[in-house]
Amino acid sequence: MLKLMQTEMTLGEKLEILSDAAKYDVSCTSGGTERKGDGEGMGNCRKAGICHSFSADGRCISLLKILFTNECIYDCKYCVNRSGNDVVRTSFTPEEVCTLTMEFYRRNYIEGLFLSSGVLKSPNYTMELLYTVLYKLRHEHNFQGYIHVKAIPGADSRLIQMTGYLADRMSVNIELPTAESLRLLAPHKTRKNILAPMRFVQQMSAENQYEIQTYRHVPKFVPAGQSTQMIIGATPESDYQILHVAESLYKKFDLKRVFYSAFIPVNEDKNLPSVKEQRPPLLREHRLYQADWLLRYYHFEAGELLDEENPNFNAYLDPKCFWALRHLEEFPIEINYAAYDMLLRVPGIGYKSASRIVKARRMGMLDFEDLKKMGVVLKRALYFITCKGKMMYPIRMDEDYITRNLLNTKEKLPEGADGMSFRQLSLFDDMGIE
Amino acid sequence: MKQIYICEDTITGIYSALHDAWKECRDTQAGVELRGRTQRQLFCEYRIVEESEEKALRLERMIKHHLGYNAYWEIYHALLSTDDRKGTVVFEVLQEARKIRQSEKIMEHLGCPAVADVFSMSRSVSNEAHRYEEFIRFRELENGILFSEITPKAQILTCVADHFEDRFPLENWIIYDKTHKVCLVHGVRKRWRLVWGELFNERAAENISEEERKYEFLWKRFFHSVSIKERENPKCQQAHLPFRYRGEMTEFSCAEDKIGL
Repeated sequence: MLKLMQTEMTLGEKLEILSDAAKYDVSCTSGGTERKGDGEGMGNCRKAGICHSFSADGRCISLLKILFTNECIYDCKYCVNRSGNDVVRTSFTPEEVCTLTMEFYRRNYIEGLFLSSGVLKSPNYTMELLYTVLYKLRHEHNFQGYIHVKAIPGADSRLIQMTGYLADRMSVNIELPTAESLRLLAPHKTRKNILAPMRFVQQMSAENQYEIQTYRHVPKFVPAGQSTQMIIGATPESDYQILHVAESLYKKFDLKRVFYSAFIPVNEDKNLPSVKEQRPPLLREHRLYQADWLLRYYHFEAGELLDEENPNFNAYLDPKCFWALRHLEEFPIEINYAAYDMLLRVPGIGYKSASRIVKARRMGMLDFEDLKKMGVVLKRALYFITCKGKMMYPIRMDEDYITRNLLNTKEKLPEGADGMSFRQLSLFDDMGIE
Repeated sequence: MKQIYICEDTITGIYSALHDAWKECRDTQAGVELRGRTQRQLFCEYRIVEESEEKALRLERMIKHHLGYNAYWEIYHALLSTDDRKGTVVFEVLQEARKIRQSEKIMEHLGCPAVADVFSMSRSVSNEAHRYEEFIRFRELENGILFSEITPKAQILTCVADHFEDRFPLENWIIYDKTHKVCLVHGVRKRWRLVWGELFNERAAENISEEERKYEFLWKRFFHSVSIKERENPKCQQAHLPFRYRGEMTEFSCAEDKIGL
């Protein structure tokens, strides 16, 4: 019966089913590798990555994000494709994936391929299929664009190694923040099984780094590094725990990115939060991403942002403001003299404007006007900085006072992420009184 | 008397004017304005400068030599923008560069208003160019040529040319800029060229290949199925992908209504 349906299915139907099944995977970035085309095929890669479109949910579409197959032997409770679910099952052939990728790429629809898969028959069998697709793309079609491929936990390390030489980025999903949650929701997967390929990819990359430095023409192994993702809100971990997991993944596994995916209930299960009462925790996801950026680009540590007493982020303030308000003794800082690391910690100053400030102040003293032109968000920064020894307005360095003002600046949140149906009553809100 | 140089709105044109301005007025005030987009002022002397390859090359060499490549590209991008003040502020930047100790660091001197202006013009042009690297959509014509039309504000064709040449070296492709009536043309294994003027055969650009419909349809299907319904968020989508780009994009073309997706 299944066989029959497969032969009848058109490429369009397959694409619809298998992209629909892949949509919950968050990572769609195409950055991390810089590669020129060799002039004999098609494609190149840009360091910063390129988004080619934005779907109705506002997420970028950079790669052709598909599952190779949604036939899966596992029964993970949060997943649409769990073996217990009654959904239409189908698979691509390697040739179909290649044609789709090449034809979409030619028309500048996509930046490359994101290939994930359900586990068909066995991890090794599936990994072999993924390898075949990549091999055909790279060697038969001479494709030099971006390829992100999933390493299937449990597959032979040799297969993973061979695939890694063809891909730009590899990822293994850690799925849930803690081992207990994983045991509860994904009975066929174990933390050890997931971390093993991750460690393997890390070791291979390190070896490859050494080889690249020593010899001239060495094939590159996963040049854009590896990433992972975890589901937020399906299990009761606090932000503090999640951030700690992320931090140790960055430090111990050299991950390039950790993605957070707000839990969207697709299955009913007694171990999952119920379908009806919940909207996806988008605000929480947003705060975690903000904190993630602070870890990667702003030299913050997870322990600084949250601790056991404050295990969750503030719904009203972004993590950087939240930190700054609790460390008012360090502020205000003088823009013209403060160290770069300290500039990074000021709310309203990003890493780009911080480096612009450092360069521009060599040429002359800076004032608030100049900061504005460089892209500093003054309405947030003004409480924490001085220019030429003066603050922009006379300000009391008082936590309550600054908090109140910062809350009034109206942070730009992604629509729907605020999830607030009520707000604190304030005397001067919406009354037109200045 | 302030001297104002009038020139065509092309890189060659503005460079020629800057060349003359630099030669004659580098120690005094001068302006470089665009033909047809200038307002006459009192106490100014106006002179028209013809485009000249030779002058342009000379000025380009001077900028690269004294200000370095990074500053050169910032200035180049700024001169593609739609801002009428671009010629004059670039001239002021060149003057300012003489005053500081290391001229090649001029673009870091954001405290100077002219530098800040050039910086923001260049930023807006390169942002737009980057948007087009993302959003240009090719369609395959009957003869196998990949064709794309765009309506950018700034003259961004030369900014995206190298990117697409490197990406599709074995394809024949054309990008037509409807705003400025310029074509970017690339032939298999050749360097790209700019061709000025109206599109010679508009009808030919409508004859798409047989395969083309199929892939357009597949792409639209993918575009819709990859979105998560529970997270739908048109405002966020609009912030990243403003309406003005959507007219020429396959996934937003009106044919989708007929398919009923």
